[in-house]
Amino acid sequence: MNSAQPAAAGKPGPSLFRQIAVRLAILTLAFAVLSIAIVVITYSRQPESLAQELLSLEASRIAADPASAEVHAGPPGSSHWQVRYVDQAFAYDAGHDLSPDRAALIDWTQSERTAGGYRITGVRTIEQDGRQRWLFLQFEGDGLRPYLPVILNEILQHAVLPLVPLSVLMLVFNILAVRRFLNPLRRAEREVDQLDPENMAARLSEPFAPREVHTLVCAFNRALGRLEDAVATLRTFTANAAHELRTPLAIMQLGIDRLPESRDRDELSRDNLYMTRLVGQMLDLAQADALMIDDAHRIDLSETARAVVTALAPMAFEQDRELRFEQVGEAFALGHGEAIYRVFRNLVDNALVHTTGANPIEIVAGPGPQFHVRDHGPGIPEAEREHIFERFWRGDRRSSNGAGLGLGIAKRIVEAHNGTIAVEDAPGGGTLFRVRLQPPA
Amino acid sequence: MTDFNRDALGPPAGLVATMRLLLVEDNARLAALVSDGLEQQGFAIDRYESIDGAEHAQTIAQYDLLLVDLGLPDGDGLDLIRAMRRRGNSTPILVLTARGGLDDRVAGLDAGADDYLVKPFQIPELAARCRALLRRPGNALDSVLTAGNIVLVTAERTIRVNGQAIEATPREVALLELLLRRSGHVVAKPALENALYSMEAEVTPNALEAIVSRLRKRLAAAASNVQIKTVHGVGYALFAPPAADE
Repeated sequence: MNSAQPAAAGKPGPSLFRQIAVRLAILTLAFAVLSIAIVVITYSRQPESLAQELLSLEASRIAADPASAEVHAGPPGSSHWQVRYVDQAFAYDAGHDLSPDRAALIDWTQSERTAGGYRITGVRTIEQDGRQRWLFLQFEGDGLRPYLPVILNEILQHAVLPLVPLSVLMLVFNILAVRRFLNPLRRAEREVDQLDPENMAARLSEPFAPREVHTLVCAFNRALGRLEDAVATLRTFTANAAHELRTPLAIMQLGIDRLPESRDRDELSRDNLYMTRLVGQMLDLAQADALMIDDAHRIDLSETARAVVTALAPMAFEQDRELRFEQVGEAFALGHGEAIYRVFRNLVDNALVHTTGANPIEIVAGPGPQFHVRDHGPGIPEAEREHIFERFWRGDRRSSNGAGLGLGIAKRIVEAHNGTIAVEDAPGGGTLFRVRLQPPA
Repeated sequence: MTDFNRDALGPPAGLVATMRLLLVEDNARLAALVSDGLEQQGFAIDRYESIDGAEHAQTIAQYDLLLVDLGLPDGDGLDLIRAMRRRGNSTPILVLTARGGLDDRVAGLDAGADDYLVKPFQIPELAARCRALLRRPGNALDSVLTAGNIVLVTAERTIRVNGQAIEATPREVALLELLLRRSGHVVAKPALENALYSMEAEVTPNALEAIVSRLRKRLAAAASNVQIKTVHGVGYALFAPPAADE
């Protein structure tokens, strides 16, 4: 409602999918950081297990690629590194006395402090070429640096590997879930787009789930109900107001007629008649808006046309104008007799008001469920044609003494009959209003 | 003196006896204006402003015509009309109402009203409607019809223009009578043809046009100031010049 709000005026913000995805990513990241922190803290508290892991990691590397074992330089940051097969020595470090005790060939790790830092010694069982072998490893180093591969490996194993598939899964789930959950919203959006002031009884279909959408749609429907009431109140008010004005207008008319004859009296009387016409049209319009053709009858358009000509001919003669009626074949249609009478009357009225001259106004009924009213006036410019059926629209405001409601009423009534009303150029000049209605069943 | 003046004014030609009308209207100002106006046209009016009042009035007097407003303080005027018709009361009823909706007129006539006039209206129009209702079968027909400088005495079957009798065939007199009775209004061709057919068997399809044409010539020759207009495809209408011109 408030166009000053940026949300209403500017482009819409991010989609729900994006919002959820961003939050999921942040959550995943936080979780990863937490996992890493846990890994780091855990191992920094247990240097023994870190040492164990370091040896196991190196052993598995050698097991995977035995050729590299001979040139194996050891983990980065090691000040001393020795490795050999216990059952087949291929590397020997003279500085160290190693006892090839096969009985002791179980996996073990020993960690001890040295002057320069620490020394880790151990044996690992590995599988190589389908054969079980034992690998003796010894390592000297200082600080945390030698442990980095182990820590990175641990992080990869315990934080990254489980989190990546989890994140992908969550993303896919997010796409599917959001799309699915928002389906009812999308349907509601389509239904809202189809809402029309002409059909205030329409409501959105209420989804069973999700509950949030359900409550939103229900709330929207309640708001529609209040709007419908407001529109109905407005229409009834227009009708009632116009209706209530008629008695005072009648009093005024009769009062004016009692005044002694004068130019002022005639002008007052004319003004009063204009107001009477306006009030009548407002009432007609309110009724036309509420018109539902559910009790349509077979009506004879030629009969209706004759009744209109009979009613309006005296007025036309008074202005030295002439109405002519012609029937072309049978002209039966499905409709509300009184409503169609008013369409006719408004079209003839319109022709009388907007044209002058001696040429007659021709009213033709048929053939079939159609009729037309044709005048010999100047015609309606192409640019004005789309406006003539708008309410309170007048082509030339100075010359017209109507309120500009007549054609709007006619259009509304014709539409309520599922018919069409169109303005055409009449052959030989002038304007022709053609109304097509439904044939009787 | 007042009475004398009113008598001197007299009812317009065509109303032989004073007709008594009952006006049921709750708006006092409108009721006063309507009854004043109709009294000047030669009607006698009693005013009541409720259904009870109207029912009571009818037990003590006989009315020739009822003028009934629909929105009354003690109910709907349509209920009064229905109740009267159920009792077999066939007094002509003219509904005077602000209700001009699409179905209101039909509803009024269905309830048993004889005519339906939507407010606002002018006294001449109302008086004309009243006279039309009072002329229905069972009511005395006007014996003298006038329009402009034409006078037609129905019993004598004579036409006078400016006081001079002119010659006319019976069918021309009949045609002029029908047009005079609906002076200022369009009379449908079938209604005119029916009246002429009933007079003589041999009527050709163009007979009506021929009669109208002859009647026009006779009136023009006698310098009549009324005009018989053709409403193509519908019928004919007789127009007299406005009274001010005379």
